Amino acid sequence: MHTRNISHLSSLWTILKKEVIDNARDRRTLTTMGISIVIFPLLIFGLIWFLDKTVKEETDLVNADAVKLPVIGAEYAPNLMAWLGQNNIEIVDAPDDPEASISQGEYRVILLIGENYPEAFRKGTTAPLRLIHDSSITGLEKIGYSTVRSAINTYSSQISSLRLMARGVNPEVVRPIQINTSDVATPQARSGQFLTMMPYLMIMFIMAGGMYLAIDTTAGEREKGSLEPLLTQPVKRHIVLLAKLGATVVFSSLTLLLVLSGLALAFKYMPVDLISISVSLGSILKIFLACLPFVFAGCALMVLVASFTKSYKEAQSYLGMVMLVPTLPLMSLAFLSPEPSVSNMWIPALSQGMIIIETLKGEHVPINLIGISMICSLLLATVLAWFAVKLYQRERILG
Amino acid sequence: MIEVLDLKKCFGSVKAIDGVSFSAQDGKITGLLGPNGAGKSTTLRILYTAFKPDSGRALIDNRDVTVDKLAVRTSIGVLTHGAGIYERLTARENVRYFGELHGMSGKELTMRVDELAELLDMNDFISRRAKGFSQGQKTKVALARALVHKPRNVLLDEPTNGLDIMATRGLREVIQRLKDAGHCVLFSSHVMQEVAALCDEIVIIANGTVAASGSPDSLRHETNEANLEDAFVKAIGSEEGLI
Repeated sequence: MHTRNISHLSSLWTILKKEVIDNARDRRTLTTMGISIVIFPLLIFGLIWFLDKTVKEETDLVNADAVKLPVIGAEYAPNLMAWLGQNNIEIVDAPDDPEASISQGEYRVILLIGENYPEAFRKGTTAPLRLIHDSSITGLEKIGYSTVRSAINTYSSQISSLRLMARGVNPEVVRPIQINTSDVATPQARSGQFLTMMPYLMIMFIMAGGMYLAIDTTAGEREKGSLEPLLTQPVKRHIVLLAKLGATVVFSSLTLLLVLSGLALAFKYMPVDLISISVSLGSILKIFLACLPFVFAGCALMVLVASFTKSYKEAQSYLGMVMLVPTLPLMSLAFLSPEPSVSNMWIPALSQGMIIIETLKGEHVPINLIGISMICSLLLATVLAWFAVKLYQRERILG
Repeated sequence: MIEVLDLKKCFGSVKAIDGVSFSAQDGKITGLLGPNGAGKSTTLRILYTAFKPDSGRALIDNRDVTVDKLAVRTSIGVLTHGAGIYERLTARENVRYFGELHGMSGKELTMRVDELAELLDMNDFISRRAKGFSQGQKTKVALARALVHKPRNVLLDEPTNGLDIMATRGLREVIQRLKDAGHCVLFSSHVMQEVAALCDEIVIIANGTVAASGSPDSLRHETNEANLEDAFVKAIGSEEGLI
């Protein structure tokens, strides 16, 4: 027998190459990656279309369809009915059981006028009306309720002005403050809601892209009985683990690249003027590079957790939960809308999330903050990989 | 050459092996025979560096398996229990992968794989992906994988498990040829006939210790039994686990 000199680097390359080929033939990995390039633009398209529609319908009163308002006791308030009619509200016959029809979603709002309404109105006291609605309804469906409510409020204040004038009082006396608002939100800022979704989706796809390989690294190989033969080859165990981690990173970052390409394609070919976000080759590349350290950390985390598990199934259910861990720091994006600063850019996932959002908004993130984010995530990745190596050295890894 | 001196290994409170000693010479086939759970696999796993013994020494070609791990691994070819292969790779890719891990490449590796495919009669499935292979085909791939780097010492953990008669015969022939080529072959089995038919030396393991060892003739002689099966029963003191 002749001894050969086997370098760590060539072993690493051999294992990495094999894992990439092996996994490229795995339908699950390919499905995840396929989804990222097909579903992602569709998802974005859907979101934008919905946002577009909501905003248009909220603002476009001229072309809007009349709000259908069932009224019970319309005969008691003919003037109010006429007023509502002028305000693009169509009075229709009320159903027999108004409460039930609201809670079943047949109507969103129903007006109830009691028989004491005309009496109170004539006497000049406060006339009661009842609006039945479901306050848990949000979004577009709520428009009907708010339209009716504001029309009645306007009617009410006009009547009150008339009554005051009839008594010789200037109506301004009872209106000490007039609020005028001006909205400075640009179309970019309005897309904020949409933008906070992006980090979630990207980070989920990063994790999903490497998940199957991470499982295969330990639990999968052990279950198939191929781990033991592999570990009896003249290769140090940490090289085996690092090579597999490397292959996981390859698939994870490839998925991220596909997602970003999907995003770019979606915005290139979508006729949407409502949301203008900046997707150029430069910004895609910037996001990709800034997220790479997180890819390392995410993959190391998954490989580490997969080392604990005893079977493929177990690994799969654990990793399903682990995938959610990096999205926790992202929660604050939706609630606090933080600005990048030294105090928060060290947090993995969150910092990448902010870089994604700011870059898509077309805003500049200082290079030193990006540096902090990358170094801290790399540090985390190193620590996680070190623990994974330690776990991999144990005899128990063979089960 | 393999030498084992008073190996001990516990898993928690369970003593898997409790002082196993034997040696296996080059150019000979040595069989580890014993009932299930006797400690055969644990002994082999220590030899192929997957486990560390609690005490005792194991030497392969005079190298300590706990000290010189990587060098030991280059000098052994291992067929592990279960013999898992990669289903999404072809048989050839499976064998090549392990060859590359041993530093082989290019034409040398291609020729070696062809040679093994011929030797193990794998030519009709060598280019197919391993998913759906029969147990016999899988074992052949795993065996080719273990032999690709021409190891001096060959360790086989229950190699005939799940093989049909023809595949078992084929395997026996391969083992015989390895012996003729001067290799040191150590294999474990709980099948009496297999060990009797092949081995020059038999090491009977029961309850984590060596109950008896020697050539088939000397074992029969020592136990005063005319056939090996009775000799085996007498050596381990029960009929447990005997096939």
